[in-house]
Amino acid sequence: MTEDIEGGPAMDARRFAALAQAYGGDLRRWPEAEREAATAFASGEAGQAMARHTGTLDALLDSYRVQPPSKALHSSILRAADRHLVHRRRQRFWWLGLGLAGIGLAGAVAGLALVSIVTPEAGSDHYVLDANATAFGDAGPDAENGEESL
Amino acid sequence: MSVDPDEELVRRVGAGEPAAVRALVARKLPRILSLAVRMLGDAAEAEDVAQETFVRIWRHASKWRRGNARFDTWIHRVTLNLCYDRLRRRRGWVTAEMPDIVDPAPLPDSHPGEEAHRVERALQAIAPRQREAIILVYYQEMSNIEAAATLEISVDALESLLSRGRRALQTMLARDGGHD
Repeated sequence: MTEDIEGGPAMDARRFAALAQAYGGDLRRWPEAEREAATAFASGEAGQAMARHTGTLDALLDSYRVQPPSKALHSSILRAADRHLVHRRRQRFWWLGLGLAGIGLAGAVAGLALVSIVTPEAGSDHYVLDANATAFGDAGPDAENGEESL
Repeated sequence: MSVDPDEELVRRVGAGEPAAVRALVARKLPRILSLAVRMLGDAAEAEDVAQETFVRIWRHASKWRRGNARFDTWIHRVTLNLCYDRLRRRRGWVTAEMPDIVDPAPLPDSHPGEEAHRVERALQAIAPRQREAIILVYYQEMSNIEAAATLEISVDALESLLSRGRRALQTMLARDGGHD
């Protein structure tokens, strides 16, 4: 007892029963790939008998309805969402402030580093501080020899 | 990979659009609440779970990127995890060690119009993994592939859970009310 559907999987009584036991009698809940074959099989006598068998439990399951969400719950969730959005905005500003402070600090450090690189080394100061040097040049013994050699 | 119908809305929620937040609550709250009510069998606890689920949504919306799962699958997973936390606290059970049928005792006598309560009690009495499978496929109207992805199992394993769950329900309800 196999129903062959062109391009789809075959359906036999065993597979139909297994699917009915798992998904119930409503074929819309059945695996999409097997729905067409199952629909064809369900039109037969065996298929109809199996569908009727699962129909009892389906009807009982259908009777279990759940109350829709209350307005209080709905509002409470929306209030929580508002609080979260405000908190996130604050966090964003805080990070922005921290970022700007970081950029400022980085700028100051870079500026300091640049000043220390660009400022020339005070080499002449070393010369002036030499104990043998005068305002007119080096008055040390070596300097004298140097002048003589000129 | 198919298009996720919630992706654009979640992106707008992540950008902080109040209208998108309202739309997402309107779209998802009934599904989340009904899932939690049927998993827990307690409306007040289910409301707490729904609120916690949305807190997680707000927290993750700006970072949410679609991987293998759709947004709806992800929120179902979040809701189920929160339900499991509560069930563990309530009963102190471990899922993997649960028998197929938790409570073999007959269900309380039913009165006319109490079918829904009988089904509710029967659902609470079957193994939680079977309950999850039935709720996702039957009440949340997920396809077998989506439900299997939510439960992080194969489609074959899902069908096995569904079959065992329905058999357990059938037995319990038949014994209780003379059906089938």
